[in-house]
Amino acid sequence: MKQTEDTSSDTEPKQSGASSGNQNAVDASVSGNRIRLDGVRKTFNEGSVVACDDVNIEIDEGEFVVLVGPSGCGKTTTLRCIAGLEEPDRGSITVDGEDITGLKSKDRNLAFVFQSIALFPHMSVRKNIRFGLDMNTDLSSEEKRRRVEDVAETLGLSEALDRKPSALSGGQQQRVSLGRAMVMEPAAFLLDEPFSALDANLRDHMRVEVKKIQRELHTAMIFVTHDQEEAMTLGDKIVVMNNGYVQQIGTPYEIYNEPANRFVAGFIGSPSPNLVECTVERTADGIALASDFYTIPATETQAEHLESLVGETVIYGIRPEYLDLETDRGAFVADLDVVEPLGDRDAVHLSAGSTDLSAVTPQGEIARDTDRVHVDIQTEEAWLFEEDGTRIV
Amino acid sequence: MSTTGYDATGVTLKATAYGVVAFLVLANLVPFLFILSVSFMPPSEFFTDPHLVPYEPTLEAWTSGFEELRGNLVNSFLIGAGTALLALAITIPGAYAFARKEFYGKTAGFYAIISAMMFPYILLVIPIMDLWTALGVYNTIFGMILAYQVFVTPFSIWILRDFFENLPTDIEEAAQVYGCTQFTAFVRVILPLAAPGIVAVGFLAFLTGWNDFLFANLLTTGTGPVPAVPVLYGTIGGGSGERVYWGKLMAETLIIGTPPTIIYLVARNYLESAFSV
Repeated sequence: MKQTEDTSSDTEPKQSGASSGNQNAVDASVSGNRIRLDGVRKTFNEGSVVACDDVNIEIDEGEFVVLVGPSGCGKTTTLRCIAGLEEPDRGSITVDGEDITGLKSKDRNLAFVFQSIALFPHMSVRKNIRFGLDMNTDLSSEEKRRRVEDVAETLGLSEALDRKPSALSGGQQQRVSLGRAMVMEPAAFLLDEPFSALDANLRDHMRVEVKKIQRELHTAMIFVTHDQEEAMTLGDKIVVMNNGYVQQIGTPYEIYNEPANRFVAGFIGSPSPNLVECTVERTADGIALASDFYTIPATETQAEHLESLVGETVIYGIRPEYLDLETDRGAFVADLDVVEPLGDRDAVHLSAGSTDLSAVTPQGEIARDTDRVHVDIQTEEAWLFEEDGTRIV
Repeated sequence: MSTTGYDATGVTLKATAYGVVAFLVLANLVPFLFILSVSFMPPSEFFTDPHLVPYEPTLEAWTSGFEELRGNLVNSFLIGAGTALLALAITIPGAYAFARKEFYGKTAGFYAIISAMMFPYILLVIPIMDLWTALGVYNTIFGMILAYQVFVTPFSIWILRDFFENLPTDIEEAAQVYGCTQFTAFVRVILPLAAPGIVAVGFLAFLTGWNDFLFANLLTTGTGPVPAVPVLYGTIGGGSGERVYWGKLMAETLIIGTPPTIIYLVARNYLESAFSV
């Protein structure tokens, strides 16, 4: 019964043979498969809702790119434009120089993994995985069977091949969905929040697995998530989006250490960085930043950039790990609100004046019943943003 | 174990529920048993005191009833099946368009179709007879099949549209990513998933064509493809109040009811999942 759908391909001449395979896949392995998005814009409701605009991203062969941002930031729309499930209003998408903007999604040689998993419930796992090969290639049934079984083995699904998707667990279902993509040997995998339906442990496990598979196949992967932690752990390159625009593109370290603007700074990292409104002041010791709880001296580099901004309001950004908490002395004193154990570290939530601050300390360093702590700021690690969010330094 | 005795409210509620159920079951079952019993009685018996078990059971009513209906049952079957097939051919694409496509006048069009169900069908008899005569399909099986579309397509589109709407778009998109055009995705993925709805609509359409009396009586003449139901009317004496052969009437009723019952039993699994969504 399982081979019933192969009759059509059996009767066709088998010029392709087992080794040449899918025409597209062959092209893919020869050439670079660099994916480029140029000025992609997509609107809905006749232009009244701008989902994404001016999106320019370059994805190299074998690169793991993560699109991350809060919900509604346009990351899924961008991915769907790449997949051909949405047609951009403007801009172009090219794979290895070839413009695919107007192509149907089936002709793009890209595989899409859906957030909802979207398996075909009336087909067995085997047929689900083989679906793309049946529809889009003229491989021999033997070659299809081999590919399906290879993929199933990689994903640990060999036992489940003849079951229906409804008989599988959520993790297995998402694996089938990955298998359906892998078997196509596409130019790139597009994954739309593939693990959001899974529970936390399984999610971690699948993340590692996907990253491993991506390393082995050396195929580009474009992964959409709203979870900044997932983005950090997975991506070679992270694209942070907000309100339909790309905010920053960079490696996880670049994004984390040198955010391009206030949004990126606030979005990446957990607990969130402290972003404090300050007024630039000239004091006897040089330039300083006055907040409602403490006047922070500017470093030399910061001072150079702030020279022209005296009297203006700026945003002072500092990651929780760069606040040093002491029991006896420090730059200023803050009330301790909550100590939140994170495992090897504790997140310590403070209030100073009317400002809430977070700090991170090694486990147990600050006792839970402490009322007040002294705080030092590692000022050389701070970022400065203009009021509109643009990075100053 | 509880020592506080039984729960009086619970018992009363349960008793009431069973009482209502028993009443409903009997209200259906008792007439049915009489129909069954009378169909096996000779005329001399069903005009005497009512009783349930025939004294001298006979198949006379069944054989003569079947003899009388045979040709008409074939007509009924052709009309019912034709109605179902044509309705599906029209409403599957139509309902899919209403469920998934954006087009000008979609909402207005949908309500216009649904509102066709609000009018008494007898209003349509005169124009349809006139039109069908002009088209040359009056007194033909095809003419009947066409006429029933007036009743059948609105509710079919309604049911199927909801069915298609409830299927996740992601599955359709997945099919398109993995090599389908919109049309092949529809055929390979949407149609199989909508099978329960399609079977249900087909069954209801068949029933409409099979059971209808009004059009069946008015769009055919004695020499044409008369379906079974008007013959039943003839057995009552055409409402003339003359002597009615109850035995034959009951046998014919049961004969006419049998094919839909069989179809229902065959399609039951599909039908139940269609209406339990």
